[in-house]
Amino acid sequence: MTTELNRRRFLSAGASIAGAVAMAPLLSACGGGSHQKTGANTSSGLKAALPAFLSSTALTPDIASVTGGADAATDPGFLSYPAAPAATVSGPPGKGGSYTAVTPLWGTVPQPGNSFYQAMNKALGVNLTMKPADGNNYHTIVPTMTAAKKLPDWINLPAWWNPNFNTGELARTQFADLTPHLSGDNVKKYPNLAALPTGAWQTGVWGDKLYGIPCFATTFPGPGGVFHRRDLLESHGITNAQVKSPADLMNLGKELTDAKRGVWAFDDVWTYLYPSFGAPVKWKVDNGKLVHLFETQEFLEALDWHYRLATSGYMHPDALAGDGANQGTRFYAGKVLIAGGGLGAWNLADYQSGVAADPNYRRGAFDILTADGKSTPVAYMGAPSSMISYLNADLKPDQIAELLAVANYLAAPYGSAEYTMTNFGVEGVHHNRVNGVPTFTDEGKKNVQATTFPFLSSSSSVISNPGGDVVTKDYSAWQAANVKALVKPPFWAMNYSMPQDIATAEAAQAVNDTIIDCYHGKKKVSDVQAAVSTWKSGQGARLKRWMTENVLDKYGAGQ
Amino acid sequence: MSTARSERRASPTRLSRRIRLRRDKSLLLMTIPAVVLLLVFNYAPLFGLVTAFQSYDPLVGVWHSDWVGLDQFQALFGDPLFWESMKNTLYLSCVQLVLFFPIPIALALLLNSVLSERMRNFIQSVLYLPHFFSWVLALTIFQQMLGGAGLLNQFLRQHGIGTWDIMTDPHTFALLVTSQAIWKEAGWGIIVFLAALSAINTELYEAAAADGAGRWRRMWHITLPGLRGVVMLMLVLRLGNALSVGFEQFLIQRTAVGHDAADVLDTFSFYYGIAAGNYSYGAAAGLFKSLVSLLLLWGANRLAHAFGEDGLYRK
Repeated sequence: MTTELNRRRFLSAGASIAGAVAMAPLLSACGGGSHQKTGANTSSGLKAALPAFLSSTALTPDIASVTGGADAATDPGFLSYPAAPAATVSGPPGKGGSYTAVTPLWGTVPQPGNSFYQAMNKALGVNLTMKPADGNNYHTIVPTMTAAKKLPDWINLPAWWNPNFNTGELARTQFADLTPHLSGDNVKKYPNLAALPTGAWQTGVWGDKLYGIPCFATTFPGPGGVFHRRDLLESHGITNAQVKSPADLMNLGKELTDAKRGVWAFDDVWTYLYPSFGAPVKWKVDNGKLVHLFETQEFLEALDWHYRLATSGYMHPDALAGDGANQGTRFYAGKVLIAGGGLGAWNLADYQSGVAADPNYRRGAFDILTADGKSTPVAYMGAPSSMISYLNADLKPDQIAELLAVANYLAAPYGSAEYTMTNFGVEGVHHNRVNGVPTFTDEGKKNVQATTFPFLSSSSSVISNPGGDVVTKDYSAWQAANVKALVKPPFWAMNYSMPQDIATAEAAQAVNDTIIDCYHGKKKVSDVQAAVSTWKSGQGARLKRWMTENVLDKYGAGQ
Repeated sequence: MSTARSERRASPTRLSRRIRLRRDKSLLLMTIPAVVLLLVFNYAPLFGLVTAFQSYDPLVGVWHSDWVGLDQFQALFGDPLFWESMKNTLYLSCVQLVLFFPIPIALALLLNSVLSERMRNFIQSVLYLPHFFSWVLALTIFQQMLGGAGLLNQFLRQHGIGTWDIMTDPHTFALLVTSQAIWKEAGWGIIVFLAALSAINTELYEAAAADGAGRWRRMWHITLPGLRGVVMLMLVLRLGNALSVGFEQFLIQRTAVGHDAADVLDTFSFYYGIAAGNYSYGAAAGLFKSLVSLLLLWGANRLAHAFGEDGLYRK
């Protein structure tokens, strides 16, 4: 099942186009396609579809998990790597089947058929062709495959693009139902999958059936953070304790910006900072009624602050020019000292890149801020897994079983032989043990470090950065300091999918464009208000009505 | 060129279609691959235009999506953002026509007057090179040079002179993108004019020089008339393409200057059609653009014929 155009498909495509043209006049008679289901789950149906949980005999972490509110807990931290990783799976799980898989990749695509892919295929006992696709445009690439019904055998769909993919409907029509294979005790055949937290499995259930395999399941689905160069801020005598509110943050701008030396205090922070003003991520429920982010006063206050920041001269001009691709470079070079980002940035590769640019490099993040600097901080949790993989509905049951066995291999816990293979490759080829720590060789950096297989299936998140313990300690401490702030937003971990026109309304492209222009200082808050009022009277009203009737009234807000 | 014209006029009567077919058989055979390519990649996808009259849902498919008639167009024409991008497109097109179009011609004339072969090859290579850069790279260079933290502004800043961030100024955006286009594409654009220049019979120059015509007179009476046909052809094509001012260049700089300064029809289709999952809306915008382009092309071609030029084809 390749997605390339081969000769046979080329001809059949031509034939179907010819047929299509001939049949075009008949079309107006049929139609009526958008009577689809929301894919939301009833509580009993969800319960029946979910796999049983079977805790694994994983290693004892060096930094134990700390629990917070709302079922949240910090990810366990590891400071050492087992000298002799234990196997959790005996022999290659596959039976020699051939499959293709598509995953998003934010980075350089590894060579097809490289040594790591080959080694993995051997270990997995299948011929799995990996086809990573550009992560930045993934939401426009996948619909072309779904429209042509040419999905690969195995695909990862990031949950934040569920509206773009119409995942619920896609699951019903083009993905394999895994319920008979994994629900309840059926999962026990796959012990590593059974060890994934139940909350994460919930993200793969649509219309009371289990379709998705959660990757990077976490009990700390943090919403991202406002990062800073801890080393440089400390040299100015600034610590986290001094920064409690956006006002404090703004004050840092003057102190840290030195434009003549090419240093500006801020990069983009909007996405990770606006909820700190008390604004909801997307929805809040007020007296049983839905209120959209755009309708809240807190949203306007957040915008106003960001507009002032953009026009203050404390933001790097390249950030204002929308050059997000080089944000990392600016941060490493110390040209910006404060930048918003996803928590995934706090890792070993980041540390290595940072230290290469500046030996003192140390990433830090402000604790969750509050608008007034006094009230209890609140951070809305993201999904317990936002990277979910699905199998093609065309696969036969024994093929599904084979791929689930492969998924079980890929989900082996931290420190196991399978985890080592999946994350570090073959010892001596892709990594060497340096002071007991698996360290990538050049071949490993090229082909293993880019995340591919873990986007098909992976164990629960841990914090582990072999060779960069300062990262593990810092990040674990930050999680522990902020885990109490985590709160479930409305519709948290609830799956529902919307018809195309409602998804378009939710995308609110015109408003979101104006928001970006506003936090880059090109549009005033009043311009955003104007765009919001246009949206609200048409698309916004439709969206809210649809959400109320199809989700809130039927399934509640899930809180 | 003038000799070719007189030959044609000399030919007696038009040959019958069958005879012409037999005469041009091998030429026609040679065009088949190109025609097939055109049919498969340019004509077959036209089928997708039906989605402009639907509420297309990729999962439901073209066959079963709801028909909405002209609703998408109605919404489109009532969308101020669409007219904004239309305005931007036309404005940019005019600016490019005035500022960009003459440059390759001037460069070709200039290059043609350079006598040293080595010098000419060197200049030509330097001029061609930027064409092979991607827009991402070209714009990164511009950002590094002229951006708010770029070479120019850091120099100004260090010497206490006010800075000017031209890369994020929506008011001068048309000039910015045109200068970027000139930097990147003008060199490449001279190829066709150089070819036309080399087709001019050198004997004409020699004869004119013998008659005592100077440099400027030779240029005015020989070079420019020799180029006129090609210039008109390029102009017709340019006008027909007036609504396609580029895509990547605007996509990349959209957040820098704001969406209402940078959105052209193509990026409008992308952002409000594809990226927002509103495929039919994007298709409607695309179809409208194609129709207007067709009209422009037809009009420009008529105009060329009115001036006695060939335009796209001989009348």
